[in-house]
Amino acid sequence: MLLGFVFVPLLGAAIMPFVRKIWAKGSTYLSVVVSTFLVVTTGWIAYHNILTQNSLTLEQWIFGQSIALKVDGLSLVILAAIGLVSLVTAIYSAGYSFHPDSRPGFNALLLLIVTGMNGLVMATDLFTLYVFLEIVSIAAYILISYQTDEYGLEGSFKYMMLSAVATTFLLLGTALLFAVTGSVSLTDLAIGVKSGNLMVQLGFAFVMFAFLVKAGMIPFHAWLPDAYTAAPAPVSILLAGIVTKVGGVYTLMRVILGVFGFSKSFSAMLLFIGAVSAVFGAFLALGQKDFKRMLAFSSISQIGYIFMGFATGSPLGLIGATFHFFNHAVFKSLLFLNAGAVEQATGTRKFDELGGLASRMPITGTTSVIGILSTAGIPPLAGFWSKLIIIIALWQTGYHLYAMIAVFASVVSLAYLLTLQHSVFFGKIKEGLEGTQEVAPVFYWPAVIMASVTIACGIFFPIIIDKLILPVNSLFGLLVK
Amino acid sequence: MSILLLLILIPALYGILLLVYPSKVKSFWEVISVVISAYLIFLVLNIWGQPQNVIIPWAGFGMDFQLRFYQFSQFIVTAITVFVFLGTLYSTRFMLDHPHNNQFYGFLFLTEAMAIGAALANNLVIMLFFWEALLITLFTMINLGKEKAFKTAVKAFVISSLGDLCLMLGIGITEALAKTLVMTDIHLETTGLGAVAFVFMLIGAMAKAGAMPFHSWIPDAAEDAPLPFAAILPTVISQLLGIYLLARIVLDFFTLSLEMRLLVMSIGAITILFGVMMALIQNDFKRLLSYSAISQVGYMLLGIGTGIPIAVAGGLLHMLNHAMFKSCLFFTGGSLEKQTGSTDLNKLGGLWKKLPVTFGCFAVAAAAASGIPPFNGFVSNQMIFEGTLQSGYRIFFVVAILGALFTTAVFLKLGHATFFGTNQPESEQSREAHWTMLTPPIILALGCIFFGVCYAFPLDYLIKPSLSDSLREGLALIHFAFRFDQLLWFTLFTLAIAFINHIIGVKLDGRGLGAVEHIRKAPLLNTVYDLAERRTFDPYVQGKVVGRYAALGLFGVDRGINWIYQEFVPTVATFVGKARRFHNGLYANYLSWSLGGFVLLVAYYIWFF
Repeated sequence: MLLGFVFVPLLGAAIMPFVRKIWAKGSTYLSVVVSTFLVVTTGWIAYHNILTQNSLTLEQWIFGQSIALKVDGLSLVILAAIGLVSLVTAIYSAGYSFHPDSRPGFNALLLLIVTGMNGLVMATDLFTLYVFLEIVSIAAYILISYQTDEYGLEGSFKYMMLSAVATTFLLLGTALLFAVTGSVSLTDLAIGVKSGNLMVQLGFAFVMFAFLVKAGMIPFHAWLPDAYTAAPAPVSILLAGIVTKVGGVYTLMRVILGVFGFSKSFSAMLLFIGAVSAVFGAFLALGQKDFKRMLAFSSISQIGYIFMGFATGSPLGLIGATFHFFNHAVFKSLLFLNAGAVEQATGTRKFDELGGLASRMPITGTTSVIGILSTAGIPPLAGFWSKLIIIIALWQTGYHLYAMIAVFASVVSLAYLLTLQHSVFFGKIKEGLEGTQEVAPVFYWPAVIMASVTIACGIFFPIIIDKLILPVNSLFGLLVK
Repeated sequence: MSILLLLILIPALYGILLLVYPSKVKSFWEVISVVISAYLIFLVLNIWGQPQNVIIPWAGFGMDFQLRFYQFSQFIVTAITVFVFLGTLYSTRFMLDHPHNNQFYGFLFLTEAMAIGAALANNLVIMLFFWEALLITLFTMINLGKEKAFKTAVKAFVISSLGDLCLMLGIGITEALAKTLVMTDIHLETTGLGAVAFVFMLIGAMAKAGAMPFHSWIPDAAEDAPLPFAAILPTVISQLLGIYLLARIVLDFFTLSLEMRLLVMSIGAITILFGVMMALIQNDFKRLLSYSAISQVGYMLLGIGTGIPIAVAGGLLHMLNHAMFKSCLFFTGGSLEKQTGSTDLNKLGGLWKKLPVTFGCFAVAAAAASGIPPFNGFVSNQMIFEGTLQSGYRIFFVVAILGALFTTAVFLKLGHATFFGTNQPESEQSREAHWTMLTPPIILALGCIFFGVCYAFPLDYLIKPSLSDSLREGLALIHFAFRFDQLLWFTLFTLAIAFINHIIGVKLDGRGLGAVEHIRKAPLLNTVYDLAERRTFDPYVQGKVVGRYAALGLFGVDRGINWIYQEFVPTVATFVGKARRFHNGLYANYLSWSLGGFVLLVAYYIWFF
């Protein structure tokens, strides 16, 4: 069944050229169907395995006994997020004004990126992980520049060049570790790296570097705002919502949990990077004048939170990080959906040219308030609980200073998010925007879905934590303290 | 339909009709109102002595619409209907000129409906519903008064709702402990959380009855609200309900520990002394009466708090007696206000010749209030004195006797200043009041005499059946005759001191009004009185001061947050905006950052691992 997560979207991508000949518009429906399938399957696995067996580890070998795919609690949460974000992206893209001929291509790349992410999430060895990461990256380069305009090409180019450096180092690190241990599978590596010589340390550093670039942590972040801002609206939803998180954050979590384990010095480093990203990301967001660019910096800041929670190395911290991962996927894609809707309705993303849209675009305005409040961590929305868990975990593990930094960054987040909401949706309507109307249903329904998920996750968070996030805890047998 | 439901529905619907239909009540509606209020008495008497229940399934979770008509609640309900009838009769003349008197009658009947509902309820949530509804009518009825009435209404509302909030909390905790909301099934101990529940419910009952420190709205309301309101709401209906609930809490719901008994008794004792000392210095007929009413609540608390059969019976009897003589006094005050145009004691004097019937009623009621035999106040006072002696804490007896002494002094002063002495020019032309305004006080004054002489009647038919079996057995052994024992002589001696004190006071000051000036100016009391007149002891006024500072503090916080978003954030934003030029879009630049980070990362690893 796990193969379905890789091969169903891959098959969908493969038949896109034929769909293009027969019924170009139908390509969107195909993506919607495939991503719905992914959401339903994830839900079914969660329901079936957790409710009946109360534990979760699925494993499947492919290509004989050479490659294994595995789903555990952590990957299941990520799979759910991937399915959800790709679903709303597919729905949103239905209304987006692509060139008629290029629509099937977009959908093919979308499904390809989903293939890559699903494979990445389930991979059990470093090389498979690298291959899937490259599939994701290449699809992403093309998607960012899909409109072939100046900015798109520039953003795509920067992303590609920095990613190329990163993946080179990933390959180099993998090679070094392979040289030492004679295997690339995560379980074998975990045994092999215990020797801890210089080669292993270099390999670890290279792999870390690759993932930090992919995650867009400060100071490896510079490609991220350009890429997010330049990408077409549906692509930036997908990119900001899930792609960079899976490519950088999940992979890093997986490698640390599976291979290297935690140590005091490692926790200290990751906490530092996370805190720097959380604070500086928030401050940089504060100075932005562009809707999507502000959200991009906000992403950097939020990923900082995920890293801080994860870096505590405590079960609670991992739970908080995983929950925030999921929540961030939901509310950040929600905000990018709103940004897309505003750009669609008014033709601009500049704060100076926007204002008072809430009266003209009530649904977009309302869902945006929900997204913003969840991002800022206002109860009872989902973002509040995950941030709270992260801060509690930081405090419990003795990082009081970092806990206070996290609270401080949260206040700054509220500041820039309110600035955003104020300058786009609240206040008096800007001159020239009086004729603005709410976007078509196909644009706002995805936002309504995501807003509902945020609210539901916030209100029913005990259930979510108990049933979906808590199985992540089983991974902690692997922790080295 | 059950008569119990009719008892609530008839006044409620009629009250709503009055609020909706006529713009001003004239003769026709007045007659109807009097007839309906009389009919309600008839309805209660019709089922007198026939205990019955009404249970209508309602919201679930144990919240059923349960009414219980039994000895205690029938006594309370009867009293409510009788007093509302008298109040209605009185208001026909008194409220004739009021521009919105339909609202007065409407809210009066709604009050009656809600009060009956609260007394009949056998489920705490239902009781709370009626209890809170009374809050609304309380507010609206005070608001019908003079120009300052709105402020007083807000004050009454705030204080009462605070008490009701405590009651709500208490009910919540009680429900959690007793696992039921049915009042007859609740039996708890006052230990641990039970003590918390008890104290909260006690506060709710006391706030309704007007004990310290929830008293401070009553004098203001008596002064500002329409007089019939003062005569029947805070002094009668609220007190009946408050003491009813108190008795239920103390006797039925909880088995009190000694500390809790002492708590109730101490509050009672403080209320007695405070109320009467404040009454002593008032120069307004209605304010004085309301302070005296507060003080009398203290007696009821003290009596019921002892838990000794004779004192509990005395407390309940005093509740009834007090309702009679105090509303009689308020009615005479209303007649004075109507006939002379004022209740300021400085403008009254020598009126007994002009208003002889009013004076007669006043004299009887004031004598009853002072506990002079053979009027009804004497009997209940004696019972409470006896109970405090039996309780073993002599201090409470001393307080009760002191309270009686000062109460007598208060009414001597009031009667002297109003009806004797020289005529004041303001009230020179007064005549006797209209018969509708005389009938209620006459009835009540006759009642005071009847309940005083034949005190066995109310005890046997009203009070004893209301008590639980164990208390009733304790009561059967005691007979309350005019026993010529020490206690009687002591009481008479106290009364004599009060008279002597009055004579000395009048001699010293020369006026009836100044009869207590020597107490007012006594060295230590002087300071306390000055503070009290500046409202230092009014929790509401002090609370408003605290509230103002709290509001200022919160305003500061609000401005601070506003400053952060209005001033601080834009400044930071411009600063960050300058930092934006580092993101100049040059790939080589970005790559060099990443590689710099990479070098640091590798260095860190080599160093630390």
